[in-house]
Amino acid sequence: MSKRTEEYFKNVPMKPYDLLREGLIVLALVMVIVVILAAIFRSPDYPTVRGEDVANIQPIAFLQTSADILAGNHGVQDYGPPYTSDTENAQSLFGVAPANWFGVTTPVDPAQDLVLNPLQRVAILNSDVATALQEYEAASPDQQQTWASAYLDGLDQATVENGKVNIPPGDYGPVDEMMAGMLALGRAGLLEGAIESGNQLPYSLNDTKSLLFFQDDVDAAVAEALNMKGDQWGVSNETGRFPGAWWLWPYAFLYQIPPMSSSPNADLQAVAIAFAAFLLLLLVPFVPVIRSLPRQLRVHRLIWRDWYHRDGTNGRGQSP
Amino acid sequence: MNLTRSAQRFLADKLTLEDALPTRLPVYVSSVAYLFGVTALSALAVLVFTGVIMALFGPDWYHGGQAPGSGLGRFVNSMHFWGAQLFFFALVAHIATKFAMAAWRDGRWKTWMVGVLALGAAIFTALTGFLAQTNWDSQWIAVQAKDAMNAVGIGAFFNTMNTGQVLTLHIVALPLLLGLLVGIHVFFIRSEGPVKPINGKQ
Repeated sequence: MSKRTEEYFKNVPMKPYDLLREGLIVLALVMVIVVILAAIFRSPDYPTVRGEDVANIQPIAFLQTSADILAGNHGVQDYGPPYTSDTENAQSLFGVAPANWFGVTTPVDPAQDLVLNPLQRVAILNSDVATALQEYEAASPDQQQTWASAYLDGLDQATVENGKVNIPPGDYGPVDEMMAGMLALGRAGLLEGAIESGNQLPYSLNDTKSLLFFQDDVDAAVAEALNMKGDQWGVSNETGRFPGAWWLWPYAFLYQIPPMSSSPNADLQAVAIAFAAFLLLLLVPFVPVIRSLPRQLRVHRLIWRDWYHRDGTNGRGQSP
Repeated sequence: MNLTRSAQRFLADKLTLEDALPTRLPVYVSSVAYLFGVTALSALAVLVFTGVIMALFGPDWYHGGQAPGSGLGRFVNSMHFWGAQLFFFALVAHIATKFAMAAWRDGRWKTWMVGVLALGAAIFTALTGFLAQTNWDSQWIAVQAKDAMNAVGIGAFFNTMNTGQVLTLHIVALPLLLGLLVGIHVFFIRSEGPVKPINGKQ
């Protein structure tokens, strides 16, 4: 032992100990427990939500998502940094909006990146879509918006028959043909590939845009069915009956109570509180009331009961 | 200045062989509460072991796809999942019991603080693990967690939907950080020995 350790344990009775033996026994036990749990329960691996599946199983939801994005209704449309340059919607706390500090680092133009660019690919293969796309891009923004809004209204009355989506007649302009092109792209399983068409192809290591496509309604509906939405304790849940990231329960709890439960700045508020709690935990040795709590809680008398019994103090006398 | 001699002096002062690999302990170290730390370390070892195996064979293997032996891959993936569950269970129990023991006393505040920092690193490592699964869970968590990251400005540097970044963070950068913090934490523990029981005096 070092002199310092020797000094610290000067009057303390010692007992034989084998650190490696203890460590190896615990490691073996942990390994056995993990193997048993893995063999019995396996692990969650719920399949991803893909454009192909949504286009085939829920074609109206697919078309609504595509038309919503085209109409400028996507959640990232006016999100602010790091996706868009407008800053008024960034979350703020006491007037401070950290999201705006570093500007746009992952530029996303939802209508262009998630619908119009993929449709450019479809247009190469389908002249009807090419014509529709030309008509749409030649129109004024107001006209584009009118068509898209009318199409979304029409979708509310749409029906599906043998996989074919029937929309009541309306003034949709070229949007009807464009959305048919999007649906065909999705059904062909090419949606994500058409969206992620960056400079690193054929490699794609960044799935930001294709993950954003369904984030608003489709993902949210799936998450709700699987009990994973924010108001259902969100990311601390796991699919099925598996334990999720339960260690995030205190953080997820913050989203269940005011003001976070209804605030547009909920994320910033929750992270700020969680960070403050983490700092408090970090500084426990120096925080007057909290560092005295263990003596009040008296759990230590249970942990060291053998020692206290031995010295006859029951935890109330001198330490060694 | 002779760096080697300084290192020798440092170790002689802070961590002798008996400190590092003790063959005797104070008699008050006699409770299951002392086993949560080594349980967390053992679960971490299982996580590193299964993680390295998964890294060797790649995502197709541990997703149970068409790759040869992918059934075994799913099993190793399951071991990694349950290893993480056990790791956090032991970690929370370790922190709770160390709090109850006021284990930061007698100059051991550094041990406590580095341990809490390691907890933070572990939570962030686990988040990237959930994001790196490339299944529905990661898909949903990516679009949800991005809002918290963006709100505090971290989103400018860490994109939860950037699969390449998430994977490299999870299997290289963050395990290195966590390993470093755990190493320092264990160094302090072995150097200073187990804190004495609380006496009755306030």
